[in-house]
Amino acid sequence: MHHTQETSPETLEAPRRPSVLHIFKIYYPDLFGGTLTVIRDICASLKDAFASAVLVCSQSAERREIVVNDVPVERVRSFGNIMSLPAAPTYPWRLWRKIAAHDLLALHAPFPLADLVFAFGFGARQPLVVHWHADIVTHAGLRWFIQPLMRRTLRRAKAIIVSDHVLIDKTPLLREFADKCHVVPFGIDTSGYDWPTIEPHHVNDRGRLVLACGRLVPYKGYDVLIRAAAGHNFEVWIIGEGVERPRLEQLIRELGLGDRVRLLGSVNDCERIKLMCLSDVFVMPSVTNAETFGLAQLEAMAAGRPVVNTALDTAVPRVARHGVEAITVPPGDAEKLGEAIDTLIRDPERRRRMGLAARTRALSRYSATAFKQGMETVYRDAVAASNAERPATAEPPRATGWLDTVRIAAALAWSDMRHRYVRSLLGPFWMSLQMAIVVLVLGSVIGQMSNTGMLARLPMLALSMTAWTFLNGVVLDATTALQNSASLIRDRALPPVIFLLQCTFRQALFALHNACVPLLLWLAFSPHDLSHGLAALPGLLLFVACTFALSLVLGAMATRYRDLKPIIESTLMLAFLASPIIWSSDIINHRSTVMRINPLTHLFAVWREPLAGGHVDPASIVYVLVVLTLLVLASVLTLVHLRKAAFWI
Amino acid sequence: MVSVSLRNVCLDYPLYGAYDFSLKRRLLGHLIREPGEMRIIRAVDDVTIEAEAGARIGLAGPNGSGKSTLLRLIAGVYPPSRGSVALKGSVVPLLGLNAGVNLDFVAEDNIALLLRISGHKPGRTVIDEIWAFTELEERMRRLPLRMFSSGMLMRVLFATATAFPADILLLDEWLSVVDEHFAEKAQERLLNMVSQAAIVIIASHDQPLLRRTCTSIINLDHGRIASTVTVEPPATHANELREKRA
Repeated sequence: MHHTQETSPETLEAPRRPSVLHIFKIYYPDLFGGTLTVIRDICASLKDAFASAVLVCSQSAERREIVVNDVPVERVRSFGNIMSLPAAPTYPWRLWRKIAAHDLLALHAPFPLADLVFAFGFGARQPLVVHWHADIVTHAGLRWFIQPLMRRTLRRAKAIIVSDHVLIDKTPLLREFADKCHVVPFGIDTSGYDWPTIEPHHVNDRGRLVLACGRLVPYKGYDVLIRAAAGHNFEVWIIGEGVERPRLEQLIRELGLGDRVRLLGSVNDCERIKLMCLSDVFVMPSVTNAETFGLAQLEAMAAGRPVVNTALDTAVPRVARHGVEAITVPPGDAEKLGEAIDTLIRDPERRRRMGLAARTRALSRYSATAFKQGMETVYRDAVAASNAERPATAEPPRATGWLDTVRIAAALAWSDMRHRYVRSLLGPFWMSLQMAIVVLVLGSVIGQMSNTGMLARLPMLALSMTAWTFLNGVVLDATTALQNSASLIRDRALPPVIFLLQCTFRQALFALHNACVPLLLWLAFSPHDLSHGLAALPGLLLFVACTFALSLVLGAMATRYRDLKPIIESTLMLAFLASPIIWSSDIINHRSTVMRINPLTHLFAVWREPLAGGHVDPASIVYVLVVLTLLVLASVLTLVHLRKAAFWI
Repeated sequence: MVSVSLRNVCLDYPLYGAYDFSLKRRLLGHLIREPGEMRIIRAVDDVTIEAEAGARIGLAGPNGSGKSTLLRLIAGVYPPSRGSVALKGSVVPLLGLNAGVNLDFVAEDNIALLLRISGHKPGRTVIDEIWAFTELEERMRRLPLRMFSSGMLMRVLFATATAFPADILLLDEWLSVVDEHFAEKAQERLLNMVSQAAIVIIASHDQPLLRRTCTSIINLDHGRIASTVTVEPPATHANELREKRA
């Protein structure tokens, strides 16, 4: 009631609040944690100026659209977590659909699933603000793949919000965009912490209760805290839930600390604040830079508790400073951690002094009002800047559209083909003749080796050879395509991808010529069943798609790195010999390892088996789809880098 | 509304030496901790150009001052390392002298292909018009372009490239090859294109040519704008042209 009275005059003045879409991987009520608190606080504190909405993933099969604290939340179904990322295949699609309805996008990074959408250039019209919560620390091996995506996202972002300046200095990726970064320290509403028991003289009776709060995940370092407790005589309560619980419980049992160390599980806000006020020391034992700020320690500071934290390269030791509000110890060092806690436990006067300093700092430096104002300024500027730019971007993009690209590539390929007609009397049928001779010779040789009817095999052999010639030709052409078209790329400013597409088109036209050999053989030697041809069509499309994606990736790489071309040539030769192209799979042991690993085996199987009237092994289909997915991802990266192709030729 | 707007544009051109193209070397360089820093030259340095419809801008400067690179940057061949490039309107870049021609094809096929590349339909009448403009003999249409002299080739390329009105035309050393008669005719056509609300940017060493064709001349030096000269109002220029025609 109170709020409706307050906001209604404003909503009358301004007909519509700009809407913000918060993009993250998870939200209440599936999880509690620092980042979620920040999102919730932003939504709540800016509700007079901005209409917020949240798009996240959820593993629960329950309602997709829910309302949390007056904020509409759409939850996209996720099927578990892969490398800390929700496996929500439809998330990019939902995000793309929702983007247009909002005036501002707030991405809470890192969240590569959303980066993927922005990397494809979707949502380019809406201003984007990135909240940088943490770098990728846990799965650092993925960085080579995700970093280019994140860089693209940051490049198009209007502003990047970090909680402390140290993050800009210590994160290489952020340093590149230092001019866009805005430091807005998290704020805390201290009113809830005015618990009657917060009197400075109040000291817990036992004087030895140590509290920690956060999700039970490896980087929080609770195992270190538990080990530290083993050597001393204090009591540890840990608030939070997560995947580490079984391991931590086991550790507690092993060390025999069951009576002193308790895992409290999830606890509601009110209860948590009460516990914070009750405790004697608050500990933040985090061990990696994934802990960028430590909102929980700020809450403890608001509650007037002294803090023990770790010397990370992030804001953690700067929010609560060593010797003033906290004792800072090296991360992962159980002994030092234990000593620091013990020092505070044994010195009630120092606890009181640090607690007061902590409360003062939380009130002055990290006030909720400053946070609200900082956020609102950044958001408003982003929306305003985008409004100012909009007339410019409303024009159609100057880059040649996809349709034009395809059309030009087709025209070039067609002209290549006509060129062949002009040069020789037989025209491209010279190639078909060549193909016919190759097939006949190979067929007779193989007929000698195996004793089954060779004539019945000939059509399939001819078709396989045609397909192989296509793949081989496309990839080989692609390795030199960009260099051969240097003049068109540099002088006519045509996008380089045209010339890689041209290779596929040209070889497809040649393959159509060659296809008359298998066609004639098929008419002559096989029972004519057209339905098999239809069944083979999806597989054939997969084959062509893989070929094109492969040529795109290898073509660009071979242009950048010239020593790749001979490697590709010899690999193709090897692949030809190691794949069931001239020999069919039943000639040799079908289950040989090389055969099963070789992607070409499966790439041929997906269309050859249905054509022969058989059934495709599901493993082959899965294999090919995985290969295609990888190739498509690699192609996307290639397309990003292809902008620089003019430097390479 | 056609416009070209470059704001504080920089281009760092990576210099790939003989070995920088090798993946082997790059991978091994990582292993043996060789300082594999990429050498970079700043080809365009903090250039700001704002051009509205009707502007004819000449880029002058010694060899290697960044004229061609700047044109390529505007055309979108090179992505700018810093700053922003915003174009409104369709761009026709004519930079290299034999851009995109296949010397083995006959002239007619080349014209058709070039038209397709620039997104036009190569109809019979269009090609006839283009050929008429080149003032070359009819039988040469069926000859491969490698039989053409460089001047004749230029005529064909210029006629093809300017057959359709462009919003933004980028020319690099184009008018200096052809003979005087055709140069005059080409200039007339260019002026005609400019009058149809177009922007022309020409890079050339030929100062008199720039002064005749352009409204302002930008002198480049080591990728920077050394000076900008505004040429006398085009009115006198038009008079001069009329005299010539008379």
